Amino acid sequence: MSGHTPPPGAHGPDSAGADPDVAAAELALGVLDGGERAVALRRVLADPNFARAVETWRAYFAQLFDLWPEMAPSGAVLERLDRTIDAPVGDATTAPRRASLLWPAIAAVTSLIAASLLFVVLLRPAPVAPPAKPVVAAARPEILVAAIDAEKAGGPVAAVYDPGTGGLRLTEARMAQAHQSAELWIIGADATPHSLGLLRTDGTTVLRVSPVNRAQLAAGATLAISLEAVGGSPTGLPQGPVVAKGTLSRV
Amino acid sequence: MTDARPAEPIGHTPDTAAATAAREHLTEMLIRTGEEDRQAFRELYTLTSAKLFGITFRICGERQAAEDVLHDVYVTIWKRSGAYEPSRASPITWLATIARNRAIDWRRAQTIRRSSPIEDAPDIADRAPLASDTIVADQEAHRLHACLDGLETRQREAIRTAFFDGTTYADLAVQQNVPLGTMKSWVRRGLLKLRECLDG
Repeated sequence: MSGHTPPPGAHGPDSAGADPDVAAAELALGVLDGGERAVALRRVLADPNFARAVETWRAYFAQLFDLWPEMAPSGAVLERLDRTIDAPVGDATTAPRRASLLWPAIAAVTSLIAASLLFVVLLRPAPVAPPAKPVVAAARPEILVAAIDAEKAGGPVAAVYDPGTGGLRLTEARMAQAHQSAELWIIGADATPHSLGLLRTDGTTVLRVSPVNRAQLAAGATLAISLEAVGGSPTGLPQGPVVAKGTLSRV
Repeated sequence: MTDARPAEPIGHTPDTAAATAAREHLTEMLIRTGEEDRQAFRELYTLTSAKLFGITFRICGERQAAEDVLHDVYVTIWKRSGAYEPSRASPITWLATIARNRAIDWRRAQTIRRSSPIEDAPDIADRAPLASDTIVADQEAHRLHACLDGLETRQREAIRTAFFDGTTYADLAVQQNVPLGTMKSWVRRGLLKLRECLDG
Protein backbone atom coordinates (compact mmCIF):
# COMPACT_ATOMS: atom_id res chain seq x y z
CA MET A 1 0.00 0.00 0.00
CA SER A 2 2.82 2.28 -0.85
CA GLY A 3 0.52 4.94 -2.28
CA HIS A 4 2.82 5.59 -5.20
CA THR A 5 5.53 3.85 -7.17
CA PRO A 6 8.50 5.68 -8.60
CA PRO A 7 8.69 5.99 -12.36
CA PRO A 8 10.70 3.20 -13.94
CA GLY A 9 14.43 3.71 -13.69
CA ALA A 10 13.90 6.71 -11.44
CA HIS A 11 17.18 7.15 -9.67
CA GLY A 12 19.99 4.99 -10.90
CA PRO A 13 21.15 2.04 -8.88
CA ASP A 14 19.00 2.41 -5.79
CA SER A 15 15.56 2.60 -7.33
CA ALA A 16 14.05 0.74 -4.40
CA GLY A 17 10.32 1.39 -4.26
CA ALA A 18 9.16 4.02 -1.81
CA ASP A 19 8.71 2.40 1.58
CA PRO A 20 5.21 2.95 2.94
CA ASP A 21 6.45 3.99 6.35
CA VAL A 22 8.64 6.75 4.99
CA ALA A 23 5.51 8.80 4.38
CA ALA A 24 4.90 8.81 8.15
CA ALA A 25 8.42 10.11 8.73
CA GLU A 26 8.04 12.65 5.94
CA LEU A 27 4.83 13.96 7.45
CA ALA A 28 6.32 14.16 10.94
CA LEU A 29 9.39 15.92 9.60
CA GLY A 30 7.21 18.33 7.64
CA VAL A 31 8.83 18.01 4.21
CA LEU A 32 5.63 17.23 2.34
CA ASP A 33 3.48 19.91 0.82
CA GLY A 34 0.48 20.23 -1.47
CA GLY A 35 -1.00 16.98 -2.72
CA GLU A 36 1.53 14.71 -1.04
CA ARG A 37 0.80 16.25 2.34
CA ALA A 38 -2.92 15.94 1.73
CA VAL A 39 -2.54 12.24 0.88
CA ALA A 40 -0.51 11.65 4.04
CA LEU A 41 -3.00 13.54 6.21
CA ARG A 42 -5.84 11.47 4.81
CA ARG A 43 -3.91 8.37 5.75
CA VAL A 44 -3.61 9.69 9.31
CA LEU A 45 -7.39 9.91 9.44
CA ALA A 46 -8.00 6.58 7.76
CA ASP A 47 -5.27 4.32 9.12
CA PRO A 48 -4.56 4.11 12.87
CA ASN A 49 -1.28 2.27 12.26
CA PHE A 50 -0.08 5.07 10.04
CA ALA A 51 -1.19 7.63 12.63
CA ARG A 52 0.83 5.77 15.27
CA ALA A 53 3.88 5.69 13.02
CA VAL A 54 3.62 9.47 12.57
CA GLU A 55 3.45 9.87 16.36
CA THR A 56 6.53 7.69 16.83
CA TRP A 57 8.48 9.74 14.33
CA ARG A 58 7.33 12.98 15.96
CA ALA A 59 8.68 11.70 19.24
CA TYR A 60 12.00 10.79 17.61
CA PHE A 61 12.41 14.15 15.95
CA ALA A 62 11.45 15.89 19.18
CA GLN A 63 14.87 14.93 20.49
CA LEU A 64 16.25 17.58 18.17
CA PHE A 65 14.47 20.33 20.11
CA ASP A 66 17.39 20.07 22.51
CA LEU A 67 19.65 21.71 19.95
CA TRP A 68 17.42 24.69 19.25
CA PRO A 69 19.10 27.90 20.42
CA GLU A 70 17.11 30.20 22.65
CA MET A 71 16.21 33.80 21.84
CA ALA A 72 14.45 36.26 24.10
CA PRO A 73 11.19 37.66 22.72
CA SER A 74 10.31 41.28 23.45
CA GLY A 75 8.33 42.11 26.57
CA ALA A 76 5.42 43.14 24.39
CA VAL A 77 4.46 39.51 23.85
CA LEU A 78 3.73 38.87 27.52
CA GLU A 79 1.77 42.12 27.83
CA ARG A 80 -0.32 41.18 24.81
CA LEU A 81 -0.87 37.70 26.22
CA ASP A 82 -2.18 39.15 29.46
CA ARG A 83 -4.61 41.32 27.52
CA THR A 84 -5.76 38.42 25.35
CA ILE A 85 -6.37 36.11 28.29
CA ASP A 86 -8.16 38.79 30.31
CA ALA A 87 -10.38 39.74 27.39
CA PRO A 88 -13.97 38.50 27.64
CA VAL A 89 -14.46 35.06 26.15
CA GLY A 90 -15.34 34.99 22.45
CA ASP A 91 -18.75 35.60 20.96
CA ALA A 92 -19.43 31.92 20.51
CA THR A 93 -20.39 31.37 24.14
CA THR A 94 -22.53 34.47 24.32
CA ALA A 95 -24.56 33.70 21.21
CA PRO A 96 -27.99 35.30 21.29
CA ARG A 97 -30.36 33.28 23.43
CA ARG A 98 -33.40 34.02 21.34
CA ALA A 99 -32.21 31.65 18.65
CA SER A 100 -32.41 28.73 21.04
CA LEU A 101 -36.09 28.02 20.52
CA LEU A 102 -35.84 28.05 16.78
CA TRP A 103 -32.75 25.93 16.69
CA PRO A 104 -34.09 22.50 17.65
CA ALA A 105 -36.72 22.80 14.97
CA ILE A 106 -34.18 23.79 12.35
CA ALA A 107 -31.91 21.00 13.45
CA ALA A 108 -34.64 18.42 13.16
CA VAL A 109 -35.58 19.55 9.69
CA THR A 110 -32.09 19.99 8.37
CA SER A 111 -30.85 16.68 9.68
CA LEU A 112 -33.64 15.05 7.73
CA ILE A 113 -32.65 17.04 4.67
CA ALA A 114 -29.02 16.17 5.12
CA ALA A 115 -29.87 12.52 5.62
CA SER A 116 -31.96 12.44 2.47
CA LEU A 117 -29.22 14.19 0.54
CA LEU A 118 -26.77 11.56 1.69
CA PHE A 119 -29.26 8.94 0.62
CA VAL A 120 -29.37 10.45 -2.83
CA VAL A 121 -25.59 10.63 -2.99
CA LEU A 122 -25.24 7.02 -1.94
CA LEU A 123 -27.81 5.69 -4.36
CA ARG A 124 -26.70 7.75 -7.29
CA PRO A 125 -24.97 5.58 -9.92
CA ALA A 126 -21.35 6.24 -10.76
CA PRO A 127 -21.17 9.64 -12.37
CA VAL A 128 -21.39 9.19 -16.11
CA ALA A 129 -22.16 12.75 -16.98
CA PRO A 130 -22.85 15.60 -14.59
CA PRO A 131 -26.60 15.72 -14.09
CA ALA A 132 -28.29 18.90 -15.15
CA LYS A 133 -28.35 21.14 -12.11
CA PRO A 134 -31.68 22.48 -11.02
CA VAL A 135 -31.75 26.23 -11.22
CA VAL A 136 -31.54 27.70 -7.75
CA ALA A 137 -32.08 31.31 -7.00
CA ALA A 138 -28.94 32.29 -5.09
CA ALA A 139 -29.85 35.69 -3.84
CA ARG A 140 -28.83 34.86 -0.27
CA PRO A 141 -25.70 33.06 0.88
CA GLU A 142 -26.55 29.40 0.75
CA ILE A 143 -27.07 27.57 4.00
CA LEU A 144 -25.06 24.36 4.16
CA VAL A 145 -26.07 21.29 6.11
CA ALA A 146 -24.44 18.01 6.98
CA ALA A 147 -25.37 14.85 8.85
CA ILE A 148 -22.20 13.79 10.60
CA ASP A 149 -22.69 10.05 10.98
CA ALA A 150 -21.13 8.23 13.86
CA GLU A 151 -19.74 4.78 13.21
CA LYS A 152 -20.49 3.56 16.71
CA ALA A 153 -21.87 5.39 19.70
CA GLY A 154 -24.12 8.39 19.45
CA GLY A 155 -26.59 9.20 16.73
CA PRO A 156 -25.77 11.45 13.79
CA VAL A 157 -24.91 15.03 14.59
CA ALA A 158 -26.64 17.56 12.39
CA ALA A 159 -24.65 20.63 11.39
CA VAL A 160 -25.97 23.81 9.86
CA TYR A 161 -23.66 26.49 8.55
CA ASP A 162 -24.72 29.99 7.66
CA PRO A 163 -22.07 31.61 5.43
CA GLY A 164 -23.75 34.96 6.00
CA THR A 165 -22.84 35.03 9.69
CA GLY A 166 -20.09 32.41 9.85
CA GLY A 167 -22.12 30.60 12.48
CA LEU A 168 -22.05 26.82 12.68
CA ARG A 169 -24.61 25.04 14.84
CA LEU A 170 -24.49 21.41 15.79
CA THR A 171 -26.86 19.13 17.63
CA GLU A 172 -25.77 17.30 20.73
CA ALA A 173 -22.72 15.07 20.23
CA ARG A 174 -22.55 12.24 22.74
CA MET A 175 -19.40 10.57 21.49
CA ALA A 176 -16.81 11.73 23.99
CA GLN A 177 -16.23 9.90 27.27
CA ALA A 178 -15.47 11.87 30.42
CA HIS A 179 -11.74 11.89 29.75
CA GLN A 180 -12.09 13.02 26.14
CA SER A 181 -13.14 15.98 24.05
CA ALA A 182 -14.94 15.64 20.73
CA GLU A 183 -13.26 17.99 18.26
CA LEU A 184 -14.80 19.09 14.97
CA TRP A 185 -12.67 19.36 11.83
CA ILE A 186 -13.32 20.72 8.37
CA ILE A 187 -11.55 19.09 5.46
CA GLY A 188 -12.13 21.31 2.47
CA ALA A 189 -10.46 22.26 -0.75
CA ASP A 190 -6.94 22.08 0.68
CA ALA A 191 -7.59 18.50 1.92
CA THR A 192 -6.11 19.42 5.29
CA PRO A 193 -8.05 19.08 8.54
CA HIS A 194 -8.65 22.44 10.25
CA SER A 195 -10.06 22.48 13.76
CA LEU A 196 -13.37 24.27 14.12
CA GLY A 197 -13.59 23.74 17.87
CA LEU A 198 -14.80 21.37 20.54
CA LEU A 199 -18.31 19.96 20.73
CA ARG A 200 -20.44 20.03 23.82
CA THR A 201 -21.60 16.68 25.13
CA ASP A 202 -24.90 18.10 26.32
CA GLY A 203 -26.98 20.37 24.18
CA THR A 204 -26.30 22.40 21.09
CA THR A 205 -22.86 23.61 20.15
CA VAL A 206 -22.60 27.00 18.48
CA LEU A 207 -19.28 27.79 16.85
CA ARG A 208 -18.17 30.97 15.21
CA VAL A 209 -16.02 29.90 12.25
CA SER A 210 -12.89 32.00 11.90
CA PRO A 211 -12.52 33.99 8.67
CA VAL A 212 -9.59 31.78 7.70
CA ASN A 213 -11.63 28.60 7.96
CA ARG A 214 -14.74 29.99 6.28
CA ALA A 215 -13.20 29.45 2.86
CA GLN A 216 -13.05 25.72 3.61
CA LEU A 217 -16.75 25.42 4.39
CA ALA A 218 -18.30 24.73 1.03
CA ALA A 219 -20.61 22.12 -0.42
CA GLY A 220 -18.69 18.87 -0.76
CA ALA A 221 -16.32 19.60 2.12
CA THR A 222 -16.11 17.00 4.89
CA LEU A 223 -16.91 17.59 8.54
CA ALA A 224 -15.23 15.06 10.81
CA ILE A 225 -15.32 14.51 14.57
CA SER A 226 -12.30 13.06 16.35
CA LEU A 227 -11.89 12.08 19.98
CA GLU A 228 -9.06 13.97 21.58
CA ALA A 229 -7.66 14.38 25.04
CA VAL A 230 -9.65 16.81 27.15
CA GLY A 231 -9.19 20.30 25.72
CA GLY A 232 -8.67 19.11 22.16
CA SER A 233 -5.68 18.28 20.03
CA PRO A 234 -2.81 20.59 20.92
CA THR A 235 -0.99 20.07 17.65
CA GLY A 236 -3.52 21.58 15.27
CA LEU A 237 -4.13 18.20 13.64
CA PRO A 238 -6.33 15.30 14.76
CA GLN A 239 -4.45 12.97 17.10
CA GLY A 240 -7.28 10.71 18.15
CA PRO A 241 -9.59 8.42 16.19
CA VAL A 242 -12.14 9.91 13.80
CA VAL A 243 -15.53 8.66 14.96
CA ALA A 244 -17.89 10.46 12.62
CA LYS A 245 -17.87 12.08 9.20
CA GLY A 246 -20.31 13.91 6.99
CA THR A 247 -20.37 15.95 3.83
CA LEU A 248 -21.66 19.50 3.60
CA SER A 249 -24.50 19.98 1.14
CA ARG A 250 -26.62 22.88 0.09
CA VAL A 251 -30.11 22.86 1.48
CA MET B 1 7.83 5.01 28.92
CA THR B 2 8.93 8.44 29.95
CA ASP B 3 6.97 8.48 33.17
CA ALA B 4 9.21 6.06 35.01
CA ARG B 5 10.00 8.85 37.39
CA PRO B 6 10.04 6.88 40.63
CA ALA B 7 12.61 4.48 39.16
CA GLU B 8 14.77 7.26 37.75
CA PRO B 9 18.14 7.34 39.44
CA ILE B 10 18.40 10.59 41.30
CA GLY B 11 21.76 12.23 41.47
CA HIS B 12 23.53 10.26 38.78
CA THR B 13 25.49 13.34 37.95
CA PRO B 14 24.72 16.85 39.14
CA ASP B 15 23.67 17.75 35.57
CA THR B 16 21.17 14.95 35.28
CA ALA B 17 19.72 15.64 38.70
CA ALA B 18 19.30 19.31 37.85
CA ALA B 19 17.68 18.46 34.52
CA THR B 20 15.26 16.08 36.22
CA ALA B 21 14.34 18.68 38.81
CA ALA B 22 13.84 21.33 36.14
CA ARG B 23 11.63 19.01 34.14
CA GLU B 24 9.51 18.15 37.15
CA HIS B 25 9.10 21.83 37.95
CA LEU B 26 8.07 22.56 34.38
CA THR B 27 5.60 19.67 34.41
CA GLU B 28 4.03 21.07 37.55
CA MET B 29 3.78 24.58 36.05
CA LEU B 30 2.15 23.15 32.93
CA ILE B 31 -0.37 21.11 34.91
CA ARG B 32 -1.20 24.12 37.07
CA THR B 33 -1.60 26.22 33.93
CA GLY B 34 -4.19 23.65 32.85
CA GLU B 35 -6.02 24.48 36.08
CA GLU B 36 -6.06 28.15 34.98
CA ASP B 37 -3.38 29.21 37.46
CA ARG B 38 -2.11 32.52 36.09
CA GLN B 39 0.96 32.58 38.32
CA ALA B 40 2.01 29.19 36.99
CA PHE B 41 1.35 30.34 33.43
CA ARG B 42 3.65 33.34 33.93
CA GLU B 43 6.31 31.12 35.37
CA LEU B 44 5.89 28.74 32.44
CA TYR B 45 6.29 31.66 30.06
CA THR B 46 9.43 32.86 31.83
CA LEU B 47 10.95 29.39 31.71
CA THR B 48 10.10 28.50 28.13
CA SER B 49 9.50 31.61 26.01
CA ALA B 50 13.14 31.95 24.90
CA LYS B 51 13.13 28.35 23.71
CA LEU B 52 9.83 28.67 21.89
CA PHE B 53 10.75 32.06 20.42
CA GLY B 54 13.96 30.52 19.10
CA ILE B 55 11.75 28.03 17.27
CA THR B 56 9.18 30.47 15.88
CA PHE B 57 11.86 32.98 14.90
CA ARG B 58 13.91 30.51 12.95
CA ILE B 59 10.92 29.11 11.07
CA CYS B 60 9.08 32.39 10.48
CA GLY B 61 12.27 34.24 9.63
CA GLU B 62 11.08 37.63 10.87
CA ARG B 63 10.72 39.01 14.34
CA GLN B 64 7.22 40.45 14.16
CA ALA B 65 5.67 37.32 12.67
CA ALA B 66 7.61 35.16 15.11
CA GLU B 67 6.24 37.17 18.05
CA ASP B 68 2.70 37.01 16.68
CA VAL B 69 3.01 33.24 16.35
CA LEU B 70 4.56 33.02 19.83
CA HIS B 71 1.58 34.91 21.23
CA ASP B 72 -0.81 32.46 19.55
CA VAL B 73 1.24 29.54 20.82
CA TYR B 74 0.90 30.66 24.45
CA VAL B 75 -2.80 31.38 24.02
CA THR B 76 -3.12 27.78 22.79
CA ILE B 77 -1.08 26.58 25.76
CA TRP B 78 -3.30 28.53 28.15
CA LYS B 79 -6.44 27.01 26.65
CA ARG B 80 -5.20 23.50 26.02
CA SER B 81 -2.70 22.69 28.74
CA GLY B 82 -5.44 20.66 30.44
CA ALA B 83 -4.83 18.15 27.64
CA TYR B 84 -1.18 17.68 28.52
CA GLU B 85 -0.37 14.12 29.58
CA PRO B 86 2.97 13.88 31.40
CA SER B 87 3.24 10.20 30.51
CA ARG B 88 3.29 10.87 26.78
CA ALA B 89 5.84 13.64 26.34
CA SER B 90 8.16 15.82 28.35
CA PRO B 91 6.67 19.26 28.93
CA ILE B 92 9.18 21.07 26.73
CA THR B 93 8.63 18.59 23.89
CA TRP B 94 4.90 19.22 24.09
CA LEU B 95 5.36 22.98 24.12
CA ALA B 96 8.02 22.99 21.40
CA THR B 97 5.88 20.80 19.15
CA ILE B 98 3.03 23.29 19.38
CA ALA B 99 5.42 26.15 18.59
CA ARG B 100 6.99 24.38 15.63
CA ASN B 101 3.63 23.35 14.15
CA ARG B 102 2.18 26.84 14.52
CA ALA B 103 5.24 28.44 12.95
CA ILE B 104 5.15 26.01 10.04
CA ASP B 105 1.43 26.71 9.56
CA TRP B 106 2.22 30.42 9.39
CA ARG B 107 5.00 29.85 6.95
CA ARG B 108 3.02 27.61 4.63
CA ALA B 109 0.27 30.23 4.58
CA GLN B 110 2.72 32.78 3.17
CA THR B 111 2.69 32.98 -0.57
CA ILE B 112 6.35 33.90 -0.88
CA ARG B 113 8.66 30.96 -0.52
CA ARG B 114 11.87 31.64 1.36
CA SER B 115 14.65 29.69 -0.23
CA SER B 116 17.63 30.96 1.72
CA PRO B 117 18.31 30.36 5.39
CA ILE B 118 17.63 33.21 7.77
CA GLU B 119 20.61 35.46 8.19
CA ASP B 120 20.40 36.46 11.81
CA ALA B 121 19.06 33.32 13.44
CA PRO B 122 21.55 31.77 15.84
CA ASP B 123 23.26 28.62 14.62
CA ILE B 124 22.02 25.21 15.55
CA ALA B 125 24.48 23.15 17.55
CA ASP B 126 25.86 20.01 15.94
CA ARG B 127 25.71 17.83 18.98
CA ALA B 128 23.35 17.39 21.82
CA PRO B 129 24.36 18.82 25.15
CA LEU B 130 25.06 16.00 27.60
CA ALA B 131 22.23 17.11 29.82
CA SER B 132 20.16 20.16 29.12
CA ASP B 133 18.35 22.02 31.85
CA THR B 134 14.89 21.73 30.40
CA ILE B 135 14.67 18.87 27.97
CA VAL B 136 14.26 15.14 28.34
CA ALA B 137 16.79 13.72 30.70
CA ASP B 138 16.15 10.10 29.91
CA GLN B 139 18.33 7.55 28.25
CA GLU B 140 16.50 7.75 24.92
CA ALA B 141 17.47 11.36 24.49
CA HIS B 142 20.65 10.84 22.54
CA ARG B 143 19.59 7.94 20.38
CA LEU B 144 18.43 10.05 17.45
CA HIS B 145 21.62 12.10 17.52
CA ALA B 146 23.72 8.96 17.32
CA CYS B 147 21.64 7.60 14.46
CA LEU B 148 21.79 10.89 12.55
CA ASP B 149 25.56 10.77 12.86
CA GLY B 150 25.48 7.50 10.97
CA LEU B 151 23.93 9.06 7.84
CA GLU B 152 25.68 10.51 4.82
CA THR B 153 26.34 14.20 5.29
CA ARG B 154 23.89 15.35 2.64
CA GLN B 155 21.13 13.12 4.03
CA ARG B 156 21.75 14.33 7.56
CA GLU B 157 21.91 17.99 6.56
CA ALA B 158 18.69 17.80 4.55
CA ILE B 159 16.83 16.19 7.45
CA ARG B 160 18.22 18.66 9.97
CA THR B 161 17.38 21.63 7.77
CA ALA B 162 13.85 20.34 7.23
CA PHE B 163 13.36 20.03 10.96
CA PHE B 164 14.90 23.30 12.09
CA ASP B 165 13.83 25.56 9.24
CA GLY B 166 10.45 23.93 8.63
CA THR B 167 11.28 23.50 4.96
CA THR B 168 9.58 21.26 2.41
CA TYR B 169 11.16 19.05 -0.24
CA ALA B 170 10.65 21.85 -2.72
CA ASP B 171 12.45 24.39 -0.47
CA LEU B 172 15.31 21.97 0.14
CA ALA B 173 15.76 21.23 -3.54
CA VAL B 174 15.98 24.95 -4.36
CA GLN B 175 18.41 25.60 -1.51
CA GLN B 176 20.72 22.78 -2.53
CA ASN B 177 20.21 23.44 -6.22
CA VAL B 178 19.32 19.83 -7.01
CA PRO B 179 16.27 18.40 -8.78
CA LEU B 180 13.28 17.74 -6.56
CA GLY B 181 13.46 14.00 -7.23
CA THR B 182 17.08 13.89 -6.12
CA MET B 183 16.29 15.69 -2.88
CA LYS B 184 13.40 13.33 -2.16
CA SER B 185 15.64 10.39 -2.82
CA TRP B 186 18.33 11.68 -0.42
CA VAL B 187 15.85 12.32 2.36
CA ARG B 188 13.90 9.09 1.87
CA ARG B 189 17.01 6.97 1.94
CA GLY B 190 18.16 8.91 4.99
CA LEU B 191 14.85 8.30 6.75
CA LEU B 192 14.93 4.58 5.94
CA LYS B 193 18.43 4.29 7.38
CA LEU B 194 17.39 6.32 10.38
CA ARG B 195 14.49 4.00 11.05
CA GLU B 196 16.70 0.92 10.84
CA CYS B 197 19.05 2.51 13.33
CA LEU B 198 16.28 3.68 15.69
CA ASP B 199 14.44 0.36 15.59
CA GLY B 200 17.60 -1.66 15.94
